[in-house]
Amino acid sequence: MKGISDFCVWGALLFTLLVTLTFADNALSSSDGVEAVVHPGTETHTLSRNLLRSIFSMRLRTWQNGLPIIVFVLPDDAPLHSRFAKQKLNIFPYQLRSAWDRMVYSGTGQAPFVVQTEEEMRSRIASTPGAIGYLDDSKIDDSVQIVHISE
Amino acid sequence: MFLSGTGLAEEQPGLKNQDLFKINGFVSQGYIKTNRNNFFGHSNNSGSFDFREIGLTASLRPTPRLQLSGQLLHRRAGEGSSGGVHIDFGFMDYNFINTPSAEIGIRLGRTKNPFGFYNDTRDVPFTRPSILLPQSIYFDRTRNLALASDGGQLYGESRADWGNITVQFGVGYPQVGDRSTELSLLGQIPHSGNLKSRASYLGRILYEQPSGRLRLAVSGSQVNTGYDSGEGDILNSSGSVKFYPVILSAQYNAERWSITSEYALRHFRMSNFGDPKFEQHLTGESFYLQGTYRFSPSWEAVLRYDLLFADRKDRSGKKFAAKTGYQYPAHNQYARDFTVGLRWNITPAIMLSTEYHRINGTAWLSSLDNPDIAHTEKNWNLFAVQASYRF
Repeated sequence: MKGISDFCVWGALLFTLLVTLTFADNALSSSDGVEAVVHPGTETHTLSRNLLRSIFSMRLRTWQNGLPIIVFVLPDDAPLHSRFAKQKLNIFPYQLRSAWDRMVYSGTGQAPFVVQTEEEMRSRIASTPGAIGYLDDSKIDDSVQIVHISE
Repeated sequence: MFLSGTGLAEEQPGLKNQDLFKINGFVSQGYIKTNRNNFFGHSNNSGSFDFREIGLTASLRPTPRLQLSGQLLHRRAGEGSSGGVHIDFGFMDYNFINTPSAEIGIRLGRTKNPFGFYNDTRDVPFTRPSILLPQSIYFDRTRNLALASDGGQLYGESRADWGNITVQFGVGYPQVGDRSTELSLLGQIPHSGNLKSRASYLGRILYEQPSGRLRLAVSGSQVNTGYDSGEGDILNSSGSVKFYPVILSAQYNAERWSITSEYALRHFRMSNFGDPKFEQHLTGESFYLQGTYRFSPSWEAVLRYDLLFADRKDRSGKKFAAKTGYQYPAHNQYARDFTVGLRWNITPAIMLSTEYHRINGTAWLSSLDNPDIAHTEKNWNLFAVQASYRF
């Protein structure tokens, strides 16, 4: 039974540690604007947060009209990627990465396309039917269409 | 063979052919040093560089409903995985239904076994919380048995505001043709035949909150193997080894930290080998509790306590030792592993990790790396470093 008591001690320690860390966890979240954007031909102006999350976690494969959804993201360590994930999807970038890796390396799905800059993001979305991604407010123009989140 | 994409671009305007075809891969090199006993090669004394993982993953999605996926894996990990290139998975995935609220599909071919949280991607360093997965559940000794099955898998997913439920159920043939698995299952019985794969069943139900904060899973399996006797074999051909693991998994993810725990009961039954002394049934028990803390996106630490009992009715191993006439020590039957590790994501593609294990017991040691398994040391430490790259 030694194992069980060992476990209790370590469990209690770990629990205490994690509870302490939780309070340090409400890290500052930037309020700078970021919006989901789609190819203008996509007849979508609003999406629920859940649907947007299904799209960016690569679970949902097609738009309602049957067109394949093509997802573009910035690299994992891009500040805008983190802002979008937290503010619009309400998940953390590392969770997206884990979800994509689980799919890619078990063969059950595909990862999104990674672009290096916001300019590239905008031009790829503007030129790819079915495309979705995100842009800082200041980078949005008429070549792409904003998708608002309906609660 | 996946490269026949002509004509697809016309069907999906704006997409280039190569956009439908994706290649990913990873390369890792590890170093393992133990103060006693061997893990992944001759890790005792000078340490072992005999731990390397190289994978190449490809997928082709010609239409949203159909995906072909494959992965080639080269893995060296001591005597148990001695290299070569192996088809890790290769299958066709057809999605009958994929709507915002539900998904149903089928996969045919060699698929990864959905066991617990980590089995599906166990050989990909970036997907592991530590260099070595908790050995109580993700044994490296019998990895091939748990790894993948050749057969079919049905899957479905329900997506709702209260969460997503993903169900997978498969029927297939496990991989039993390696020496490590055979030694682990048949133990020290001298034999000249081979284990053979039989139809086996497995399934997993996974619940995830929409935010992914809470994840809960139950996995269960019935792994069946038969036996082909060899020349003058003391084991009978009607023999079978059956393995019924059940795993409960739970994870909570916050911004800075995650806590993960899994508990498994592993029922093992050996029967009809022709002599009552080879009849065996016992239930092993596994548990770990793991905390991960992310100091920043590039630095994270992991702390874990991992516990394994080969026979839950003989946790101290004393009955086992007595039964073998004290030829084998009691500590062969359990293992307690306390692990602390650090991971540095230098870039999203390059990772350096290190960890230190204090271990009491040898239940998950491989007898291929430790031929004299009767004379292993009870208390030992393991230190590991691994560099990984992916594209």
